[in-house]
Amino acid sequence: MEVIKVCNLEKIYKNGNIEVKALKGVNLTIHQGEFVAIMGASGSGKSTLMNVLGCLDKPSSGNYYLDGEDVSRLRDDELSYIRNRKIGFVFQSFNLIPRTSALKNVELPMVYGRTAKQERRKRAISLLTDVGLGDRYNHMPNEISGGQKQRVAIARALANEPPIILADEPTGNLDSKSSVEIMEIFTDLNRNRGNTVIIVTHEPDIAEFTDRVITFRDGNIIKDELTGRGVASGFYGEVSGK
Amino acid sequence: MMLFLENVNLALTAIKTNKMRSFLTMLGIIIGISSVIAITSIGASAKGAVTAEFEAMGSSYLYIMPNWEMMNTDDFSMNDFFTSEDINALKARFPEMIKYAVPYVSGSSATKVGRTDANLSILGVGANYDDYNKTLLMQSGRMILDSDIRGRKNVIVIQDKMAVRLFGSKDAALKKEVPVTLNGEQTDATVIGVFEEKESAFAGLATSNTYKCYMPYSTVLPAGEEYFNYIEIYCDPDTDIAAQGKSFTGYLENVKGKDEGFYTFESAESQMEMINKVLGILSIAIGAIAAISLLVGGIGIMNIMLVSVTERTREIGIRKSLGARTKDILTQFLIEAMILSVIGGGIGTLFGIGIGKIGMIVAGTQGIHMSLVIEPLTIIIAVLFSAGVGLFFGLFPAKKAAKLDPIEALRFE
Repeated sequence: MEVIKVCNLEKIYKNGNIEVKALKGVNLTIHQGEFVAIMGASGSGKSTLMNVLGCLDKPSSGNYYLDGEDVSRLRDDELSYIRNRKIGFVFQSFNLIPRTSALKNVELPMVYGRTAKQERRKRAISLLTDVGLGDRYNHMPNEISGGQKQRVAIARALANEPPIILADEPTGNLDSKSSVEIMEIFTDLNRNRGNTVIIVTHEPDIAEFTDRVITFRDGNIIKDELTGRGVASGFYGEVSGK
Repeated sequence: MMLFLENVNLALTAIKTNKMRSFLTMLGIIIGISSVIAITSIGASAKGAVTAEFEAMGSSYLYIMPNWEMMNTDDFSMNDFFTSEDINALKARFPEMIKYAVPYVSGSSATKVGRTDANLSILGVGANYDDYNKTLLMQSGRMILDSDIRGRKNVIVIQDKMAVRLFGSKDAALKKEVPVTLNGEQTDATVIGVFEEKESAFAGLATSNTYKCYMPYSTVLPAGEEYFNYIEIYCDPDTDIAAQGKSFTGYLENVKGKDEGFYTFESAESQMEMINKVLGILSIAIGAIAAISLLVGGIGIMNIMLVSVTERTREIGIRKSLGARTKDILTQFLIEAMILSVIGGGIGTLFGIGIGKIGMIVAGTQGIHMSLVIEPLTIIIAVLFSAGVGLFFGLFPAKKAAKLDPIEALRFE
């Protein structure tokens, strides 16, 4: 099943009279259950693509089908709903809400999803336990380490059980040990929970955790290939994807 | 509803995080609301005290007098003033209505008994005055009677405090002589009765060694004098005093051949109206000042909310990325602004009541005893109004927050 499909996607930023084409007609298909890394130098367009895929930004032209629905022309509140239900974000700088406990942070997407309070709490504790923070849910973001913050962020991304996880440089602010731990969590989400996981990174050894690496340069895809893991997974034999 | 409670919690956390800033922001609202509450409660208390006072006196009296504005001061005739015949005519014309009607005459005099001196405030009255004026209670002896008036007798009814001061006790004063200067002539008046004045909220305003006392009006009027300026009348308390006053003055104008409006009257009602008018104007003036301070307070809230939105731009971006809709962010900041001003309004209400209480205590030391009247409606309106101020001045910052672009907000450092 094609969970993400973009056709001729263009994104143009206007800065006064200067136009910058960040995406120059990108075509890309990602199936349900894929584990993908998007690589490229800064300014290559990978983050712009990520923002569009995450429904944070709208493309200038072209189409974006999410679960078969064209979301490229939706209104802001409709995009909010999709962000809430279908996509879980993990950021490089964690983006936890300050002065708000880990538990409250994880509950937040469920608050906007109108989940009942009891249910919310139960699920948030269970998610935090899954990422190994079951005993720290009352800690504030400034009381826990970077690796722990990213775990909270992952738990938060999973709150409304979205099919897709988008991670923008999730290990960018972490030491190598924590990085490996975080990547293992993503692998687990992909292999055992069936989430589609898309990671933006510029570190090749992080990309090695995934099944498929898409490389960007100057707003275009220049390379799209399977990793050793991807070949070994047998996943691509079945769906005969790219 | 769920999101509402969540937002209330959020707002309280935000306010707690910036205690000092929040308090300073609330100050404008606190000052505005507390002055409104203080003024309305003090005003209501004063009104209550004045009303109680007039009710105690019996509100059925009125004074008839010439309308000084209508009189030609260069060429007035004695006929403009009143005579005993006028009073008799009035009584004859309105026998049912008029219970008591005498010339209203007063004077003041110093007196000295032995080595003790005192000031007298003398009121000339008709027979059985205590039947009509309910604030005076006879303690011993008797009140002035018809025979005293007809005989222009030199008799006096004095206040209990004065009796104690000059003669040692209430009963010792009876039949004693009190030197009095009336119309420039020194005479000795015989004490025939002692009265007590009913406790009044304004009793403390009288100076300590001036005492009220009553003498026959005929004695207080200068000998041979036929004309006087005022008539004091007590009516049937069940009638409309204002309507009675009009018919009395109309009748007098008719009898004495004067233009309409030549005579006028004052009653408890009209005096109360005057006082209430003054209190009302005072309340409006201070209300206007309070409104200005609420406006300033509202601008303060808007200012701090704008700062807060800027400070929390990144947080807004995060919330949007997690699925917060425009409306969710809007209500979050609106509720924060409203809670800020409602807490201000609450503190202001408490302060206002406190100021009112202090006002009562200060008035108490000046001899005016009132109890604080707090109208629940005023408090409800004050709190609702402060919520309205928060809503109005919070709208612009909240809209600014809600309209933020999620990507730009997330990039904000």
